[in-house]
Amino acid sequence: MAKTHPAVSNGVAPRTAPDQPNAEPRLGEKERFMLLLIAPAGIVLVLFQIVPIIFGANASFRDWQLFNPAQTWVGLKHYLYILSDSTFLTVVLPNTFLLMFLSVTLSLIGGLALAHYLHRNFAGQWLMQTIILLPQMIAPVIGAMMMRWVFNDQFGVVAAFLDWVGFGPISWLAQRWPSFFIVIFTDVWIWTPWFALILLAGLRSLPREPFEAAQIDAAGAWRTFTHLTLPMLRPVIAVCVLIRSIDAFRTFDVVWILTGGGPARSTEVFSIYTYIETFVNLDFGRGSAAAIIGALIILAVAGAMYKVAGRVTDVSR
Amino acid sequence: MPKRKGLVRLQLSAALAIWAASWGSPAAQAEEALNICHGGHPIMVASQKILDKWAKKENVKLTTTLIAYDVYVPKVTQMLTTGSAQCDIIWHNDDWGQLWQQYLVTTDDVAGIGNVATQPLDAFWNDQHKLTVVPMAHTIGTFFYRKDLISDAEVPKTFTDIVQIGQKLQKEGKVKWGYVGGMSFNNTWFTLWWTMWNNGCDIFKPIYERDNKVLAANGWTSIIDQPCHQQIVDFWWDALHKDRIAPEATTTYGRNEANAIFMAGDAAMTVADSTFWGDYNDKNKSRVAGNIGMAPYPVGPGRSKPITWLDIWGWAIPKSVSPGHQALAKKLLGETLTDEDGQLQMWNETGGPPPNVKIWDRLTASDPVFRKLKEVVFDQDHAHAAYYFANWPKVHKAYSDAVIKALTGKREDIPGVLKEGAKSVHDAAVAQ
Repeated sequence: MAKTHPAVSNGVAPRTAPDQPNAEPRLGEKERFMLLLIAPAGIVLVLFQIVPIIFGANASFRDWQLFNPAQTWVGLKHYLYILSDSTFLTVVLPNTFLLMFLSVTLSLIGGLALAHYLHRNFAGQWLMQTIILLPQMIAPVIGAMMMRWVFNDQFGVVAAFLDWVGFGPISWLAQRWPSFFIVIFTDVWIWTPWFALILLAGLRSLPREPFEAAQIDAAGAWRTFTHLTLPMLRPVIAVCVLIRSIDAFRTFDVVWILTGGGPARSTEVFSIYTYIETFVNLDFGRGSAAAIIGALIILAVAGAMYKVAGRVTDVSR
Repeated sequence: MPKRKGLVRLQLSAALAIWAASWGSPAAQAEEALNICHGGHPIMVASQKILDKWAKKENVKLTTTLIAYDVYVPKVTQMLTTGSAQCDIIWHNDDWGQLWQQYLVTTDDVAGIGNVATQPLDAFWNDQHKLTVVPMAHTIGTFFYRKDLISDAEVPKTFTDIVQIGQKLQKEGKVKWGYVGGMSFNNTWFTLWWTMWNNGCDIFKPIYERDNKVLAANGWTSIIDQPCHQQIVDFWWDALHKDRIAPEATTTYGRNEANAIFMAGDAAMTVADSTFWGDYNDKNKSRVAGNIGMAPYPVGPGRSKPITWLDIWGWAIPKSVSPGHQALAKKLLGETLTDEDGQLQMWNETGGPPPNVKIWDRLTASDPVFRKLKEVVFDQDHAHAAYYFANWPKVHKAYSDAVIKALTGKREDIPGVLKEGAKSVHDAAVAQ
């Protein structure tokens, strides 16, 4: 609740400082100190987030080729082009949502399983925990590079194994769905530990009493999991899914390194589309419009998910 | 407290005074500094060594800013269009010759510029027909083969020979693959394009034409759906899926993958930049070291004589640099261009053919590798490896997408995919 100046509350404007040398400043010392503390973060946010977004939004309405920055106003031309581009509508958007859905779902399932596994006392638990977390400690670019060679049709370990069992090498990255499978596999491999870590923290914070009661009632492991653990973990799961979904929507590094959006644009996702328009075709106008469209889509999706997450969290209270 | 504040102010004032004094002192002004921006390729590093030698003599300090290849064009384009003076000398390439021509200082007056090959300069003329580059080294695609597996008499002369020799060696169990080369986007030269040019074909009509006015007069019409081009797509489709002389995953290979296979001894033939000669013959990296041969390109049914691309990498000077630095940069680049020993050293270290053609006779007489390279590349017919207009990156991507779609689909769908692709390529060329 904000403090109301007594003079204002009476409908009388406060008098100026020269007449009242001891007048109370608008912000108290505490508020000013707080503002001072958040100022560096605020300045960084404005300079590196807000200003670029404003520049980008401005560029999206202009004919702005990087090599010829005429910056002529073209209105909604770029937006109309993208929204009528069949590749964007029939390949890029479906791929983006498919990647988001499958990556988040599979990472969640894997993370939940790992969290359960680690939520027990066994010898070498700390070692196992560290090993499981390794993919999360590697930069996604490096992880994707490793996977590209793991699935290489000539030298990869997967090719060697398939050869050994008599299948012969598979050209994983030469076809759409095998390439897409590797993209999802890599993304799940990188992000499952993140889910595991957060869900493990959630599991460890759950009260013991309901589980002891379930044990006394002779409830089986599966029943305990579905009727106790999952409902009690729902708020944590909801937040994890929300954060990771937004992140998965803008996945770039893994797709770029593994497939570059190919073969023939068949694994292109929203961020690759934007990158190609901006940095391959050097068209800042169209690239910015693509980025704004993507931002609006994820804003709508995140808004809906936020509402669902809010409801889930409320129900769980 | 006030005493401490006073002390801080005094220290600050003293520091400022010292800084101001040093700014104007003769010692600080004696040494000029030029910043070179490039992509870190060994040839660029070797060329910079020559520059550095002359810079020391001129009492100039050279600094370097390395820019990753993937972001080099957008970064430098942004720098040039915003008038930044961050780089005094930049790495330049024929692909971007026309993209940047209006932002670069002319170089017709650089010493030694008359001693370079003229055809590779086509990409670098500005609208006033002035040159905007100083050549650093030639970049040339070369057909390499395994001398221990293919005798002189067997060296392929045609596309059909490649298939026959490749399959023979595969059947004999000497190699896994007859041919390997990069094909994914930005590696198009090492499979699709050398065969395209050697089948009397090109991306736009008229073939081998690079004059934008002529290309525009022809409506930027793409001929990738015409028989001469369909033949090469059919050739590669068969090579990957029917004749199986190259891995199916070739469509995804960049240079690293292709070189790894060739250097592991798993393939008998490849096409790569001549600068890989050193790597292929390095016993620490390559199992086929000492067994590498070079030959003119095999030709397709549409051509009787080999044709190769011959282009250059170079240095350029942004207009946004101060006149003093422009003059200094030109002087250093001129000295580099006339430094025959420096260029010979660059050739020996990297395999980058020197830009100064006066050295070629010396090299031909003394160096068997250069003699062979001259025979298989310099003495052949030449095409350009790119088109020189602003939409070229867009065209390259559209071409790559179309052809890779054709090669990863059904053979009977190739004509339809190429027809669709010809339209995409045309649209990319004329896009505003």
